[in-house]
Amino acid sequence: MLLPDHDFIKPRSLAEGLAVLRDSPPGVRLLGGGTDVVFNMRCRLMTPATVLSLKDLPEIQGVAVLPDGSLRLGAASRLTDLIVEPVLRERHPALVKAFRAVASRHVRNLATLGGNLCLDTRCWFTNQTKEWRDTKGPCLKTGTDACHAIQGSPVCVALNNADSPPALIALDATVTLASCRGERTLPLADFYREDGIRHTVLAPDEILTAVTVPPTADRLVFRKETARQGMDFSYGTIAIRADSAGGRATRLRIVLGSLTTSPRQLTAAAERLAALGLGDEGLAAACATVRDALGPLTNLYSPAAYKRELARTLLRKAVTDLREMTA
Amino acid sequence: MKKGFITLTVNGDTCEVVVSSRHTLLDVLRGKLQLMGTKEGCTTGSCGVCTVNNGRGEAVLSCLTPALEWDGQAITTVEGLEHNGELAPIQQAFIDYHAVQCGFCTPGVLMSAQAILNATPAPTEDDINDGLAGVICRCTGHIKVKEAIRHAGEFAPRRKA
Amino acid sequence: MRANSPRGGRRDAVSAGKADLSVIGRRQPRLDGFDKVSGRSVFTDDIVLPGMLHGRILRSPHARARIVSIDTSKARALPGVKAVVTNADAPDLDFSDRQPLLAKGFVHYAGEEVAAVAATDPLIAEEALDLIEVQYEVLPAVTSLRKAMQPGATRLHDWAAGNVALTHEKDFGDPDAAFAASDLVITDEFRSPVQHNTLAELHVALADFSNPDKLHMYTPTQGAPMYQMALAKAFGLETSQVRIVYGNVGGAFTGRGRAKPHHFIAALLSRHAGKPVKIKATGDEEFIMFRGSGETHYRFRTGVSRDGKIRALEADVSFDAGAHAEWAMILWLPAPYLNWLYKVDAVRYKGRFVYTNTVPKGSHHGGIFGRLSAGWMQHLNNVAEELGMDPAEFHLRNAIDPGHHALDGSDFASCGLKECINRVVERSGWKDKHGKLPPYRGIGIGIGAQASGGKNAANDTSAAMLKVADDGVVTLYTGIPDMGQGSHTVMGMIAAEVLGVEPADIRIVAGDSDITPFDWGAFSQRGTFTTGNAVKAAAEDARDQLAATIAPLLGVATGDLVFARRRIHVRGEAPDGPGRSFSFREAMAKVFHGAEGRSVMGRGFFNSPRPSGSLAYSFGAQVAEVEVDPESGAVKVLKVTAAHDLGRALNPLAVEGQLDGQVFSGMSQVLYEECRMDGGQILNPSRLEYKLPRTYELPEVEYILVETIDPYGPFGAKEVGEGPIVVTMAAVANAVANAVGEMLPQIPMTPWRLLRVIRYRKKHAASAPGSRP
Repeated sequence: MLLPDHDFIKPRSLAEGLAVLRDSPPGVRLLGGGTDVVFNMRCRLMTPATVLSLKDLPEIQGVAVLPDGSLRLGAASRLTDLIVEPVLRERHPALVKAFRAVASRHVRNLATLGGNLCLDTRCWFTNQTKEWRDTKGPCLKTGTDACHAIQGSPVCVALNNADSPPALIALDATVTLASCRGERTLPLADFYREDGIRHTVLAPDEILTAVTVPPTADRLVFRKETARQGMDFSYGTIAIRADSAGGRATRLRIVLGSLTTSPRQLTAAAERLAALGLGDEGLAAACATVRDALGPLTNLYSPAAYKRELARTLLRKAVTDLREMTA
Repeated sequence: MKKGFITLTVNGDTCEVVVSSRHTLLDVLRGKLQLMGTKEGCTTGSCGVCTVNNGRGEAVLSCLTPALEWDGQAITTVEGLEHNGELAPIQQAFIDYHAVQCGFCTPGVLMSAQAILNATPAPTEDDINDGLAGVICRCTGHIKVKEAIRHAGEFAPRRKA
Repeated sequence: MRANSPRGGRRDAVSAGKADLSVIGRRQPRLDGFDKVSGRSVFTDDIVLPGMLHGRILRSPHARARIVSIDTSKARALPGVKAVVTNADAPDLDFSDRQPLLAKGFVHYAGEEVAAVAATDPLIAEEALDLIEVQYEVLPAVTSLRKAMQPGATRLHDWAAGNVALTHEKDFGDPDAAFAASDLVITDEFRSPVQHNTLAELHVALADFSNPDKLHMYTPTQGAPMYQMALAKAFGLETSQVRIVYGNVGGAFTGRGRAKPHHFIAALLSRHAGKPVKIKATGDEEFIMFRGSGETHYRFRTGVSRDGKIRALEADVSFDAGAHAEWAMILWLPAPYLNWLYKVDAVRYKGRFVYTNTVPKGSHHGGIFGRLSAGWMQHLNNVAEELGMDPAEFHLRNAIDPGHHALDGSDFASCGLKECINRVVERSGWKDKHGKLPPYRGIGIGIGAQASGGKNAANDTSAAMLKVADDGVVTLYTGIPDMGQGSHTVMGMIAAEVLGVEPADIRIVAGDSDITPFDWGAFSQRGTFTTGNAVKAAAEDARDQLAATIAPLLGVATGDLVFARRRIHVRGEAPDGPGRSFSFREAMAKVFHGAEGRSVMGRGFFNSPRPSGSLAYSFGAQVAEVEVDPESGAVKVLKVTAAHDLGRALNPLAVEGQLDGQVFSGMSQVLYEECRMDGGQILNPSRLEYKLPRTYELPEVEYILVETIDPYGPFGAKEVGEGPIVVTMAAVANAVANAVGEMLPQIPMTPWRLLRVIRYRKKHAASAPGSRP
């Protein structure tokens, strides 16, 4: 089945691309490697009038080490290339693990970092062909006020299923958004919205150009739970960043992915672990906060009760990883 | 652009093709160039039968990439592994190790296998698992496919084209 | 072209028949390997015919509705559209029993075919579909088996009270008496879900019906005759006016046994348009066009004596038929199966085929027996435990022996079941592990059997022809499809063995019903057995013709000649004695260029002499070892040890490939595969979300080929194409149950289902029902 009719634009520079966005009506679809957008276009979930190809823009490639020791990752960098980037492997092996967890090598050979960060939210009531959706009936995302995932939900609860955000958020990464109006930088944690439809703060005339990871001596662990390794969206992911040494941490950041509409930080759990340590006592106290931190969950792809249990399991396993790493 | 010319080098042959923004690379290979070796499967990037190699010898899913992205690029398909009837080592390995049954996924699996060997001639178990995870082979369950890749080094390289 | 030489693999054959065979038993690489690895093999979607149009089907968005009106006028008017059809264009065309082709008046499942278009371009066809206006009156639908069987459920078809399409009940022996005489009677329930066939090549049909006297159908199939007959009947043709072309078949797994609506629709569109029409499934449409397995509910009941002897076996099975009873024949299958493994006093089977407003169901690889075994073997494991017996001992205690005559009339001339059980018990270290593993590590055993072909009618014929050229090259004509199982290579090996030549000397012509001799096809595991015997007969016929000319030249009787290693010589003499022997090629030249000028053509056919049932059964036993993560519910399959009595391994290389694929699929069905239903719709109609394991999930595998040399199979061979998967499913199911501590009542055993059981058991400690002490 062919893609829907559209105008394909491949700018030769970032400035040229931003000018297209400035001069076009809103709704231009940004294209990285295509592994998500082409899929969704074929299903007619996305039917943009214009597609703007970003993957070869020279200004937003590669990894640079900034004077203050930060690492700036160009948004059009392929995940395959980031995985073998020496400075990333040396400084943030768990981040590399997160990149490597994305889909399959086949997908990563096309997919870009920016594309993964901006990955559209997923729901098995909408990530279907047009015929399927016509059978089920439209929903919030496709034009009415019904939600098939949670009856009566006023807001779309589709999941953020990308594997790179949790680890980057845990590392206090920031993103740079460029437009003809200028450039702004904000924490990746603030980039996402708890809305399955407008799930990021990216404005219609903006392009995400870079992700900057501040220097840190802290450790990072990452885990992904999935039906099968090597080619899957995750049931759940977790990233924990901590200043731990000797099996104890005073400051932690814990981020869960794929369970909710935007990556979810477990601040209460982090506080318990900082206060009570990374052993059984701290873990039990931390796990007790998970239910409230997650709130109501959907049955999308896996049952809500499983998701909740999985969140606790991921927390236990990741904290154990951390403890063993720094014992 | 909605329609235009792209220059594509496929298996060493350079050609100019008219494509539309509606075409993926797979549409060009099968529909325009009549290279039927690469198969159309799920068209959503998870079965891997559409796998070809890009200019760096890496596995890419031709169903998930717009044709217009490939202007000026080089691609290898399964037809490009052999030279005039002389099979590439991985192809001979697939026959001798019985890594082929119904054969429908075989072009995609071969290109995935070739990509693994392009990256490293002596792949680890993890390299093989990771490089093959993007393609499904129901008939073999991937078991003899992995064996063939592990032993591909036993086969003499074919003469260069 | 360089020679292929087989490599790798793990094999340990026991009891190999000592026979003077030079080709059979060899690890033979595929004869069509070159074409398959070079992209030369042509599959149906690769075929483009002159003037070919693209067909698309308009499908019902409702699970159940009355069709108020259909207006196709706008679609017909679209430039590029060459045909539009609805039921009104073929009102008398019955696709299946009481099932019209293209919905008539009512639709009974979401996805049912309502109309179809053929256009010069796929995009125009797509646009045309959007222009067809259908008015529906939506009706209440029943989309689950449980709801369909509830008293008072909406009746979905006038003729089916209680939504039961068909029932089949069968008693062997006196079950009531046998249960009454049992010391212990145990009952368990089990459920299996909707599952897909997971074939690689999506459904596709290319029909050329431009000539009303001849329908050419290019499509992958498991058997041409059934497609021919169904299409001929539908379109008022003679069977021979329908030609099926099926050169390469991209997997079948029980998914291509019968022609499907899209075949008929492609033909109908082609008749109207006067041009060939191709219809192919899109990735998710595949999950409407398939005929895989439906939701199935089982209740197993077994009566035993205290000493471990099985008195009575009972299975009550409810099958979800879907909206139409296309595949009603599966209803009959479990009854005989219950007779094939154990010596018992009585067997009872009760089955029903129940309508729901969902895609019509059939079966998939291992389907009927595998899914049943995943539950039944866990149930029997429970029985063994109740008796305080080791399950392996329980199976051995009751297993049949060669020569057994079963209650259903089946005979087992060869039977290596006990051998298989003993071998896997020994190889897997069963006795050191069962009952002794740490928590959440499990080991399970399963056994199974499978018929090598099975006769339901007077005729289960396979025929074969071959011709020998004067350069010694043999061309073998066979109608059996090769869906990957390697049937063509094995047939080539059989012909080569008989004629004393090499497989490389055999060319296979297959996949065209106009050219190849009659063959019902590759299903019910009949290929090796029935077609193999036909090919053997054809090769013997050709060999006899050669012998008839050569023997007198050497002054011997035809029976004194030996055909081996590309030579013909006299038994007891040197193979290359000058003047006393010929190369095969020399002999052929002598025959062809001699006075008679005979062109050697061999022919043969085989039809089982049994009036019904099968002549031979394969048997297997497997042990699986798993590890369950009690925190996440994830299962890792560590190892599968498989022993299979396949009579004789004609091509051990291909056998290993078969076992690999079946272990993979068996574990996949028990742990991963499920079409997740939402009303009548499948929520995961994609290769991404319909889960199959991939490379990281593969276990270590070890195979033991048990060769009992069956008296009826070609060179003693029996089936191996579906027997193993059934056993794998049983072994893996039991291993997980063992790891978790109780029978799992449902497959797939997903992480959330396992977690529920694990948490419940932790909470209630040892008091959970059915639990291990």
